[in-house]
Amino acid sequence: MVTREDIENIAILSKLFVAEEDLDKLTEQMQEIVEFADAINNAPDSGEEFDNINNLSNVFREDVVVESFPSEEILKNAPEQAEDHFLVRNHT
Amino acid sequence: MSIIKKIHDMLSSKEISCKELTEQYLSEIDKSNGELNAYVNITPEVALEQAQKVDEKLAKGEEIGMLEGVPMTLKDNMSTKGIETTCCSKILTGYKPIYNATVWDNLESKGAVLLGKTNMDEFAMGSSCETSYFGGATNPFNTKHCAGGSSGGGASAVSGNIAAYALGSDTGGSIRQPASFCGIVGLKPTYGAVSRYGLIAYASSLDQIGPITKTVEDASIVFDAISDYDPKDSTSQGRQKGLTYDTINNDIKGMKIGIAREYLEGIRDDVKEALLNATKVYESLGAEIVYFDMPAIKYALPVYYIIACAEASSNLGRYDGIRYGFKAEHYNGTHDMMCRTRSEGFGEEVKRRILLGTYVLSAGYYDAYYKKAQNLRGTILKAFNDAFLNCDFILAPTVPMTAFEMGHAVSDPVETYLTDICTVPVNIAGLPAVSIPCGFNAKGMPIGMQLIGNKFEEAKILNAANMYEKVAKENFKDTKWGVKL
Repeated sequence: MVTREDIENIAILSKLFVAEEDLDKLTEQMQEIVEFADAINNAPDSGEEFDNINNLSNVFREDVVVESFPSEEILKNAPEQAEDHFLVRNHT
Repeated sequence: MSIIKKIHDMLSSKEISCKELTEQYLSEIDKSNGELNAYVNITPEVALEQAQKVDEKLAKGEEIGMLEGVPMTLKDNMSTKGIETTCCSKILTGYKPIYNATVWDNLESKGAVLLGKTNMDEFAMGSSCETSYFGGATNPFNTKHCAGGSSGGGASAVSGNIAAYALGSDTGGSIRQPASFCGIVGLKPTYGAVSRYGLIAYASSLDQIGPITKTVEDASIVFDAISDYDPKDSTSQGRQKGLTYDTINNDIKGMKIGIAREYLEGIRDDVKEALLNATKVYESLGAEIVYFDMPAIKYALPVYYIIACAEASSNLGRYDGIRYGFKAEHYNGTHDMMCRTRSEGFGEEVKRRILLGTYVLSAGYYDAYYKKAQNLRGTILKAFNDAFLNCDFILAPTVPMTAFEMGHAVSDPVETYLTDICTVPVNIAGLPAVSIPCGFNAKGMPIGMQLIGNKFEEAKILNAANMYEKVAKENFKDTKWGVKL
């Protein structure tokens, strides 16, 4: 059962605000989605964890030094920057 | 006939210059994009600069490559250096990548003419293109209907003849479903066949880039061009066999086509009828149809949503208002800044999936949902492997219905998730599948079917799809829109 408190907690973990007026609707929707996801609990368990779609494991490469992007290029996309750094103000 | 080959012949024979052709496409985009909403960013300067290079080469009497000078488009989640790439989200407005996605590097070096970036569901999360920050793309067969999603813009552009081909990405059906809705061809390659470097991530273990085209031959040409090993994507392997184009006209006599009964459950009658008609076409080509059961795929949909949302909740953690894109204007403290940025920057569907992903990964639920879903992923892959012991490929509907009317998909999230039932198993198992048109419903909306192959067997499914296209041309209908070659 998904509760309003669950939604409030996962919203904090997700760094999202959920407005008070949206909380009931979202709780209901999440409950519906989770019920739908619960279908897998009736499935027979193969017992094997599957985390490898390509049959690849430990893809290694030589540690070759290549040119990195110039920091001024990277910073161009930052909403705020100062002295070759990302700027994060504590408040506005 | 292949659109790409036709353009190549027209350019090579100097029937039209690349500049004239590109201008024709740009002018048609101008005329129809207001209604189709296929493009979210049109790049005439980039297109015309490339066209000029092609014309200079032709003027010198040099030969051009097959894709050289062919006007095309990229979904807006593929990084293009210096060209705004937004994933159709407010949170990435203004973001101009400083590098190219490998697929674009590859096609650009082959002389592709980029007309612009196409519309999509925000961060590829949706099945109708309507979660886009820019509004949804419409269906060229009837603009009251959606183009499908998430690569709706690319499908609308190709079906509407305002791009010769498009690249889309497919996480749970996002190439095949819009291709099916818009009456065209969409290939989701094997996981690892095409580099994902520079593709803005939604669910990394499921995402794959592929072509959206008018004909199977075009899909083969584009796939062969973009499928390559890329050291920048450690999951990439490239094409494991020869060019798919070399075997596209092979006789398919004696091929065994599998139909899993579960795929026929709960689909609309007209879709089922079109699929069964296609089996008759295949029988007339000398193929054999074998029916079998595949009970594991009934768990595919919840498995997909659990894994996709879990990966998305992690992948989308990077949008914090610090490094790129949108940042909230007023805040108090860094936590508040990130929360406001993300809450104002992400749309409803994206937030819903981040919350669901965070939920299934949180302590106490991880084993019941995420771990269980990963186990079932193995079960589903095994079911496919077993099926391919007895057939060359699996034939299935692409979507249980035809294109929804605009506005329908956004009203009920779970109901919309259910429409992905036929497409998601392929992503879960990392297989290739191509959707091709196989008929129309009573209202004239296209119906699609998919040919699902074993890993790295793109050549086989494209061969079988092409042989179908040759004898069932009436299902590959043109629309009234765009450039008429």
